[in-house]
Amino acid sequence: MTDTHTQDDVVQGLGHRRKRVEDARFIQGHGNYIDDMKLPGMLYLGIVRSPYAHARINSIDDSKALAIPGVLAVITGETLKQFNVHNMPTLMSDTQNVLPIDTVKYQYQEVAGVLAVDRYVAADGVAAVEVDYEPLPAVVDPMKALEPGAPKVREDKEDNHIWHWEWGDEQKTAQSFQDAGVTVAEDIYIPRIHVSSIETCGCVAQWDSIDKHLTLYMTTQAPHAIRTVVALVTGHLGLSEERIRIVSPDIGGGFGGKVPVYPGYVIAVAASIVTGKPVKWIETRTENLAADSFARDYHIHAELAADPDGTLTALRINTIADHGYADAAANPSKFPAGLFHICTGSYNLKNAFVEVDGVYTNKPPGGVAYRCSFRVTEAVQTIERMTDIMAHTLNIDPAEFRMKNFIRPEQFPYKSALGWEYDSGNYAKALRLAMDMVGYEDLRKEQAEKRARGELMGIGISSFTEIVGAGPSKDFDILGIKMFDSCEIRVHPTGKAIARFGTKSQGQGHETTYAQIIAEELGIPSDHIKIEEGDTDTAPYGLGTYASRSTPTAGAAASIASRKIRDKGKKIAAHLLEASEDDLVWERGKFYVKGSPDRSKTIQEVAFAAYTNHPQGMEAGLEAVDYYDPPNLTYPFGSYICVVDIDRGTGQVKIRRFVAVDDCGTRINPTIVEGQIHGGLTMGFAPALLEEIVYDESGNILNPNFMDYLLPTAVETPRWETGETVTPSPHHPIGAKGVGESATVGAPAAIQNAVVDALWHLGVHNIDIPITAPKVWQALKDHGAALEE
Amino acid sequence: MKFAGSVIIEASRDKVWQSLTDPNLVSQCAPGLESMRIVEPDKQFNVVASVGFGSVKMTFDANVEWEELEAPDYARVKAHGKAPGNGVDVVSEMRLSDAPDGATQMDWNADVVLVGSMAGLASRLMGGITKKMSAAFFDCIKGKIEV
Repeated sequence: MTDTHTQDDVVQGLGHRRKRVEDARFIQGHGNYIDDMKLPGMLYLGIVRSPYAHARINSIDDSKALAIPGVLAVITGETLKQFNVHNMPTLMSDTQNVLPIDTVKYQYQEVAGVLAVDRYVAADGVAAVEVDYEPLPAVVDPMKALEPGAPKVREDKEDNHIWHWEWGDEQKTAQSFQDAGVTVAEDIYIPRIHVSSIETCGCVAQWDSIDKHLTLYMTTQAPHAIRTVVALVTGHLGLSEERIRIVSPDIGGGFGGKVPVYPGYVIAVAASIVTGKPVKWIETRTENLAADSFARDYHIHAELAADPDGTLTALRINTIADHGYADAAANPSKFPAGLFHICTGSYNLKNAFVEVDGVYTNKPPGGVAYRCSFRVTEAVQTIERMTDIMAHTLNIDPAEFRMKNFIRPEQFPYKSALGWEYDSGNYAKALRLAMDMVGYEDLRKEQAEKRARGELMGIGISSFTEIVGAGPSKDFDILGIKMFDSCEIRVHPTGKAIARFGTKSQGQGHETTYAQIIAEELGIPSDHIKIEEGDTDTAPYGLGTYASRSTPTAGAAASIASRKIRDKGKKIAAHLLEASEDDLVWERGKFYVKGSPDRSKTIQEVAFAAYTNHPQGMEAGLEAVDYYDPPNLTYPFGSYICVVDIDRGTGQVKIRRFVAVDDCGTRINPTIVEGQIHGGLTMGFAPALLEEIVYDESGNILNPNFMDYLLPTAVETPRWETGETVTPSPHHPIGAKGVGESATVGAPAAIQNAVVDALWHLGVHNIDIPITAPKVWQALKDHGAALEE
Repeated sequence: MKFAGSVIIEASRDKVWQSLTDPNLVSQCAPGLESMRIVEPDKQFNVVASVGFGSVKMTFDANVEWEELEAPDYARVKAHGKAPGNGVDVVSEMRLSDAPDGATQMDWNADVVLVGSMAGLASRLMGGITKKMSAAFFDCIKGKIEV
């Protein structure tokens, strides 16, 4: 056993708590982020933005800006129009201004670019551009935007309604509701929030006017897709795809916000082409919060039906989705509301019907999935809230109610009422573990005692099912490009390797975990495998990292490519051992002859032979590439239990305990998984209690900075307790499901359910997130339970 | 944002009316005013004024127009101004009536729409700023016309 252990510490394959290799450079300040880049002769782009949410641009006077020494040019919509690049497509095939010609449609919209010798001069130039605006009526509420006579956000559209999307069987669902013994309904608003990555967006565009070649260093989660989009949008200018190189260096957090193309990137490219010099553009914090893609903003009306004995039967949802001025989400083409129809969650529902209407408003464009695989947070929050409301209505313990309605282990693969085929799960096991960890039964007793004394304590559960790993090519594409992903492995003569991927880490730790997958498959130590991503000139094509898709797609490609190498290695080993291929047995790191373990060749010996002594007739070298098209999505799940105490005098919610049991299938690196869960829980806690982008009636964003937009620090963040069950995905080569988003998706409902659980007996059945102290205090006051002096 | 107030000025209604509709006199009392230019007498003028929002000071360039002037009772003024990254629209009304002992009561209200980078900050500070600025303004006016 000692020997195996030593071997594991050398190989550091699956399940090893390998230290993150990328951290060596991050914690020593040697990361290479966009804003670290300095190229000779580099110019700086600043952006003039609209103070109005809706206004006509009467004129733009750049004379004072151009008079400032060091300001070189002012680029407007009219400038870009000459090259027909003043508009661009969004990833949802909508249209978005790069720079507007006549009207601005949200506050902080880009109006002009100022090109200067450094960022300070650029900022002075931005302040000196005089734009004469004629204010127009703005509409910020999507309900009002749908009313007849509402101000029209888009001149190029008939009205403010973007699309209607529905899924499921409307009639059967209606019948289930008619037949139901009990039905409950609730309005749930999931407010607009922002990914708030610590690094804002930016780029350095470098146009080589001799070679007619563009290198674009940018903060993107999907470099390959960006290259293709740039080629399609600018092809008429001669910028064909082989002349475009996208490089995504170290990224300081993406969370979905670095999937879209923002106007700043395009203006920087145009500026570099016009001047022949490298141009840098970096957003300020306010620009990032006020103008980049937001997340959520779903106004949900949900209904749930059950038999009188508490067996759930049907779910019906009607949602208004506020997309701002353009549908600039990053969903797969086929699903304008993302994977919102995972909303039947972990429960065995017979029927479901879901409708979503997309609406334009005078707010920034977007609707990206913030760490939630395409609207899964919205879905989970809806079903988990509704399940709790039903349990409370029927006066059944919420844990018992869940246990009764869970999809049972023997039902997998499970076809949901809305058509998804869940790969594997054991929901009751995860919930039971979470209950044991938190001491559920004792907490319920404590709650009853406290309630008798007038104290408010709540226990909230969220037993979520995620849907990640997009996705199978039959259903999943972005702008027509199928959502496979890729891995290319080259094993060097000395048995070391380099592997390149179509994904791009933004902090997920791919350099560590991808190496572990290959190490497990080939027996080459992780430390001997170099991982590269993010350079479209070298990495194989892929759709990038978001929606917890890297492990399910590119991770699977790493496995399959490794196995291709092993297949070739086996031929080489047979040649070296003068044995038949059929007589060889693979044991991690070596081939041996069946029955004669001493007659063996290590993977390193095989690799050396691939370059020095390969069989005649065989290609030299040892490399493989795999483009992995997953047969299905993966369905990670978990059960979270949150315990809160509420102060009746202030409405303050204090999270006393938070237990998170996650099942993401096989864990490649438990330390990284736990880190993902800790980060994800914090990103679920924040919107539950703190975060919301607030607009006033005129369309002013009222909190575009970290003083006013509340993010938790270590001080506010509760202590997280994590647990695990392991239910491998049956279709993934190593059984892994992906874990990047589970905690963000599952946590808010647990917290919200805990707060409502504390207040239900008072008659409070819902408090929308963020659950701030004033909201809770008001609810207490409205129900006669607030302590007042 | 809507604001309103009421002030008693120890002067006759005619005198108060004339003073408050005289841009030259008003501009001596308007806090932060840097310049005033009459574009069209009794109708339109242009002002440049700086306003402090906490530690941030912004200079607005505004066109001001009398929309209604009903001497000596009622006036409505409209202003549209801009500062880098910001815009402001104001509609303000004043109504004069007789107060005891020959004094005049002035009731005023203003609807201020501020857009841009200052709006978030202003939404919290505007109440206090308006109170301070209006008090300074009326103290100054009173000092000039009360006997």
